[in-house]
Parts: sequence; C-alpha cells; structure tokens
Amino acid sequence: MTTPELGLSMVYLVDDEEVVRQGIAWLLRSRRLLSEGFDSGEAFEAALEQHAASGTGPEDWPRAPSCLVLDLRMGGMSGLALFERVIARGLLETLPVIFLTGHGDVPTAVAAVKRGAFDFVEKPFSNNALVDRVEQALAASAAALLARRELAARQRRLEQLSKREREVMELVASGLSNKAMAEALQVSVRTIEVHRASVYEKLGVQSAVELLNALNSLSAPRS
Amino acid sequence: MPTHEGRPRWFLWVALVVLLVAVQVLLLTLTLHYRSSKAQQEVEAGVLASAEELRKMLGADLRRVLNLPGREAAPSLWRERAQALLIERPELLRVERRDTTFALTQALDTPTRSPLFARIPRAQAQLETDLACRAAERRSEPSYSRSYFVPHAEGGGIEVIDLCIAERAGETLTGHVVATFGLPGLLDQLSATAPPPGLDLAMLEPDGTMLAHGPQRSGAGVFRASRLIDLPGTAIQLQLNSPAAQPSLVPDLITTMVVGLSLTLFGVVVLLARDVRRRARAESELAESLAFRKAMEDSLVTGLRARDRQARTTYVNPAFCAMVGFDADELLSSEQPPYWPAELAGEYQRRQEERLASGAQTRDAFETTFVRKSGERFPAMVFESALRDASGAHAGWMSAIVDLSAQRRVEEVARQQQDRLQATARLATIGEMASLLSHELNQPLSAIAAYATGTLNVMDAHTPGTALDAEMWASLHVAARQIAQQSERAGRVIKSVHDFVRRRESAREAVAVAELVEAVLPLVRLQARKSDTAIEFDPEPGLRKVVCDRAMVEQVLLNLTRNGIQAMQGAPHAGAGDNGGNRLGDRRRLLVLRARASTPQWVLLSVIDSGPGVDDEVARRLFTPFFTTRSEGMGLGLSVCRTIVEQHGGALDFENLRDASGAVRGVEFRFTLPAERAGTPAARAAASETSPATLTNEG
Repeated sequence: MTTPELGLSMVYLVDDEEVVRQGIAWLLRSRRLLSEGFDSGEAFEAALEQHAASGTGPEDWPRAPSCLVLDLRMGGMSGLALFERVIARGLLETLPVIFLTGHGDVPTAVAAVKRGAFDFVEKPFSNNALVDRVEQALAASAAALLARRELAARQRRLEQLSKREREVMELVASGLSNKAMAEALQVSVRTIEVHRASVYEKLGVQSAVELLNALNSLSAPRS
Repeated sequence: MPTHEGRPRWFLWVALVVLLVAVQVLLLTLTLHYRSSKAQQEVEAGVLASAEELRKMLGADLRRVLNLPGREAAPSLWRERAQALLIERPELLRVERRDTTFALTQALDTPTRSPLFARIPRAQAQLETDLACRAAERRSEPSYSRSYFVPHAEGGGIEVIDLCIAERAGETLTGHVVATFGLPGLLDQLSATAPPPGLDLAMLEPDGTMLAHGPQRSGAGVFRASRLIDLPGTAIQLQLNSPAAQPSLVPDLITTMVVGLSLTLFGVVVLLARDVRRRARAESELAESLAFRKAMEDSLVTGLRARDRQARTTYVNPAFCAMVGFDADELLSSEQPPYWPAELAGEYQRRQEERLASGAQTRDAFETTFVRKSGERFPAMVFESALRDASGAHAGWMSAIVDLSAQRRVEEVARQQQDRLQATARLATIGEMASLLSHELNQPLSAIAAYATGTLNVMDAHTPGTALDAEMWASLHVAARQIAQQSERAGRVIKSVHDFVRRRESAREAVAVAELVEAVLPLVRLQARKSDTAIEFDPEPGLRKVVCDRAMVEQVLLNLTRNGIQAMQGAPHAGAGDNGGNRLGDRRRLLVLRARASTPQWVLLSVIDSGPGVDDEVARRLFTPFFTTRSEGMGLGLSVCRTIVEQHGGALDFENLRDASGAVRGVEFRFTLPAERAGTPAARAAASETSPATLTNEG
C-alpha cells in the first residue's frame, strides 16, 4: 500500500528467528509490502537511536507509513521492553506496534494493547490476517502522518499572522462581534474586517466556525 | 505339682510308708517270735532229753543198788561193794541196810564228802525214808521218798531223796536197802551229760519249790521248760532254764540285719521317691519345653523342613504345609517333594544329588521356585544348614523356607509406583516446558503459515496462463523449501518431546554417554536457544559405556541442564567473556556437559553452569521434594534425579564453583553411573541383567 504523498510504506519486523522473519517478509512481499528485519530488540533499538541522532525528533521519522511487527518473546531484550522504548520515544502513533504472541503470552499481549499497542496476532497466524492488520496499521500510520503534516502546515500559517491579526483571530475565536472587537482594540470596525479577512485567508478558512476547528486541531496535540 | 493331683499322690506316699512300717514291724515281730519259739523249743527239747537222761540214770543206779549183795552175803562184802558203788556214783551219798523193823543195820556214807547226817541224826530225818520203805513194801518194788532237806554240819544243807528197796526172801520181807541220792549231785551228773551246754538245769518239787539247781544259775528265766518225772513214790520236776534273754532288737545279728535292711529299704524308698519327684519335674519341664517348641514351630511363619541324609523329608512345620498347601502326611510320605515344579524336578534332583555328594559342610541360602498344591508357582528363599544328631554326626539337613511372593508383589508395586512417579516427573518436566515448547512449535508453524499464505497470495495475484518471472519463481521455490524444512523442524520438536515422555521398559543396558546426551540435546537446545546459552559437550575420549536405565538418566540430564539454563537466565550474566561467541558479544552463558571416568568402575557426569550458584538456604532444601525456586516448577526435579541416580548405585551432589577471587561463577551438579565392566558387550549386558537375581536353585 502506498500513499503517494508519503512515500513507500515500511514494515519493521523484529523476531529473533530468521526463518520467521523471512517467512513474514515473503508474505508481506506477496502483498506488495516492503519490510525490514531485525533479529533482536537491541538491533532495532540501535536503528531507532541512529534515526534519532540524524533527525531532530519524532516528527522526522518515520516519514513514510510504518508499522512494527514485534515478537513478544525473544532472547535478550524482550518485545515488551522494546515496546516501552517506542512509547518513550513518542513513536506510538506513527509506528503502530503489532505483537506476535505464542499461546501462553496472550495476557501479556492484551496488557500491551491496553498500553497502546495496535494489536496482537497469535502464532501461528492464519492466512492473511497478519497482513490485513499490518495494512490497517499502516493506514493508521499514514493517517497519523497526514494529520501531523496538516498540523504542521497550519502551524506554519499561524506563524505568518501579524501581531494585530493574531489578536483579531483570538477575539474571533472567543466569539466577539466585529463591533465589540473594534471597541476592545480601539480601532475601527472596518480595520477589524480587513484583519479578519486576512486571517481567514492566511489560515485557509471560510468562517469563524472553521477557524475554531482549525485552532482546536492545532492546540489539542500540544496540550 | 498340680494340687488336684498332689493329694492322691501325697496320700499314696503316706500309704506306702505306713505299709512299709507295718511290714517291717510284722517282720521284726515274726523274727522275734521265731527266735523266741526256737529258744523255747531248744529248752523243751533239752528238758525232754534231761528227763530221759535222769530216768535212765536213776534206773541204772537202781540196778546197781539191787546188785549189792543181799542178806545172805557177808556184811563186809556188802560194805566193799557199797563202797565201790559210792565211789563210782557221786550222786549216791549213802547206802543203808535196814531190817524189817526199819532199824539201821549197816550204813555207808560216800567217801567223797563229809557224812550226810553229821548235823542232825539220821533218826530225825527218816520220816520220808520210812514212808518210802512202806510204799516199797506195799507195792513190792523199789520206791523213792519225797525229797527232804538235810542240813550240813558246816552250814547250808542239801536236798536229798531216798530210794528204798524191800528185800525179800521169797514172800517174806527180810529187810530194806536205802540209797540216798543228793539232788545236786544228780543234777551235776545230768548237766555233765544230757542238757545242751549253757542251759541252766534245776530240780523242783511239783509245787515249784526249788530243790536243786546248777552251780552257776545262768538261766535268764525267760525261756524255760519243765518236765515232771514220775518216780515210784514221788515226782520231781525238772526245769531247764535258757540263759537266753528275751530276744532284743539290737544285739542280735539277724534282727540287726533285718532292721538294717529295713532302714536300707526305707532309705532306698526315700531315694526312689526323690528320684521319682526329680524325674517328674524333669518330665514336666521337658513336656513344657516340648510344648513351647511345638507352639513355636506352629506359630512360625517361616516354613521348616528337615531331611535325612537320603533326602527324605522327616519333618515339616505347619507353616511350610500352609505355604505349599500339602498336608504333612503327603509331604512326609512322598518320594519326591510334591512342591517341586514338574518342569524343574529333574534339575532339582540333580542339584540335590550334588548336595548329597558334597557332604555335611553345606550351609547356604538360595532362591528357588516351588509350586503350591493349587499349581501356583512362587519364589521362595531357602536357608539350609547341616543337621547334626546328639553325637555330632551328620544326620541330614534343616531348611528354613520363606515365601517371597508377597515380598515380590510389594517390590513389584513399589517398582510400578516408582515408574509411575518417574513418568509423572517426566510429564511434569514437559509441563514445565509447555510454554517453551509451544513457542518452539509456533516458530516453525508461523514460518510455514507465512510462506504458505504468501505463496497463495502470489498465486492468487498471478494471472493463469502467463509465465512467472524468474525472480518470482525462485522466491516460490525458496518458500516451498522453507515450508518443508520448517515442517520437519516442528516434527523434530514433537518427536523429541515424545521420545522423552514415552514410557519405556525400564531396563538396564550399556549405553554410551554420548548417546544419552544426544538424546536430550534437542530439548536442551530448545531451551538454550531462547536464553542465548551455549551448550558444550565435553566427553573424555575412550569413555566406557555406562550401565543404566536410559529413560531415567536422560531425565536426570534434562532436569540438570534445564536447571542450569534457567539459573543463568534469571540472574545478571556472570563472568563476562570478551571472546564470547554470542550475538551481542557481551554475554557468556555457557552450559558444559562433562563426562569423565572417575574410577575404573564409575563414570562421572557433570552439568556445569555459569549462573549465580546455589546459596546456602536453598542448598539445604535443594533435594526436598516439592521444593522449588521457580513459580512454574513442581519441585520434583532434583529429588527425582537423586532417587534415580541412587537407584543406579551412584551419587548426586553439587558444588559452587569459584574463581580465583572466591566469587561464585557457577554450579557443578554431578552424578556417577556404574561403568560397563570389561568383557564382551553382550556378556556384560547379560551379566548386568542377571547379577541382581540369584540363580534358581533346588531347595
């Protein structure tokens, strides 16, 4: 699955057994999904570390829709430990985690889902259930990436507003009429109208309602 | 002695003693009586003889007096003849001639003593003489006077009697001849001839007045007899008095003998009585001990059997009868023991003959098979030793027989329980490994599922009829091969579990140590892989095979290796190795399986981990069943391990390994197994099979 404006999706496979990694890779490839394998939590952690060092934060990686397929039980760092690292790095939205579990690990996997994992799939998985969930995860990742991109764009527009325009926008958001705004700012109503049109144009909204929505979407993730 | 029997017995003894005393008294009485009557008879006979003798003497004296010359002869001649007569017969004291008027014409006294009538004149003492002469006249025959006393001139006196003979010439009386007999003299003459010596002879008047007696008066007065001698004109009682006193008990020989014999008899009876009592006591003790022995033999659960030297059964106790189900009679009468199994009888017979030939020294214990009357066979233990009679000669054999069937059953049950426990422990081991095993199965199954689904996806996406490109074809080929490989891998996991859990006949066999280790290695590796543990097998070259029950020893190995792996997993890694071959290069978890010949007879197997060691608290309870440090463990592992090793005769222990600084760097669990003995492998296996069992033997 590809989302043209985001680039090629990537599935990261972490399993300490090579044949399982290869098998899943083959399966994903048969559904036209790219994957990259890691043989331990430590290896993937090292890769994350590398990305973090080269970029500035969660915004910079992953750029393409991604998903992490993680074996719960591994030698060395366990799947759960790696999951905690992913949460700590704030990658949970853009890098949804699907756990692979054995029969006995289901309760652990359920707990992980409650902590924010995308899902878990019990080994041995049947048919394309895993791939389907991977695609859904990638879609979620893509959505998250798009939302993040939109947010960044709006942020940039908001930063283009002049001081006066920002004041007018805040007053519009608080629901005052033009006249009231003019009184508050001790300018003419006409001036208010000009600023208001400018704000609408810069933020790409048509009405006060749209403006409110846009502001809410900007502020919500930061809260 | 029992009281109800005591009384008649006591009574009998008293009766016996009374009877004995009565008999003795009777015997004594009879003896005394016999002696009395014998003495009496002697006296009677003596007096009879004396009386006869007296009569004869008087008759002879009468004839002598009659032979004196008559009146027609010269008085000198008469005197001469009378003188001779008086000298010849000392009892004659005086001879007188009187005329018809009873006047004394001629008198002659005996010269041997003083004249009779010296004290008193004859005339004063001739009354009795006169009476006698008149009687003689009257009866025309000599007549004796009654005795009368003539006092002596020198004191004392003498009893005398006179014999008066009337002299006649034709029918006319011509005179009288009077002869005076001194009674003591008569008695002296008589004593010299007639009576048995020692007897006291006396003369008495018929009324009992003593006339004359023997010089010594030795008569005791107990045994006496008298005889009245009728003389013409008078009668004299002759009395014989035995000096024998009343027979007394003591001084008499016969009586002494009788009394002595009686006393001896009594003593013998007493001794006999004591002996009888002793015998009775011994008898009752013997009976008691016999009863005790019998009770003992009867209450024994051990069968007893005695046989003589011809191997005939001479004795069996009830326990043995009960054991084999035959009556004692059947056992004693049969030629060949009926409890020998028919198919083994020949062999038993042969062994028995060997034993007979080997003599008395046999003393051994062996196991054998007997058959009950019901036909059931049972194992029995026979303890046999030579039987010796009182003189120490070899009389046969005594055997104690113990029925082993119950013991065998118990052993069998115990063995089955042990087997079950071990099977359970094996299952428990697998149970504890379930999560690991499911992971181990899931891995290949996941790979298979992935490859299969992917392949299907490719096929679905591919338009039928068109050719696949070479790359896709190669990928499909890889996928199919992987599916095959992973199926095989999954199969191996299942097989390794199956091999381990499967119940096997518990049998000792000689196995190479490497074989044992290889059998558990798949399962060990399963666990090791998950925890990055390297497994190293370090056998000594040329190691002997060990004789063991494979399944059990494999379980010991699996338990110990699993413990080692888990010990290393739980703790921060110990002993960092810079040359470690692990993936991340900072861990060195190594489990070493080492096999060494500790002695020629034993092989030492060690499982060495590099974990944190065993602390003292845990060490104390390590081999306690159901003690575990793991939440999922059942705690059966080590206790079962130790049991198994000890069943093989070996020992299981452990030791914390320390490095140069003294820090614990691991634990070595080690155990020993018996090594195969030298010889051919087949023979060794056979020997190890049969060695615990005793060879069947005849009993």
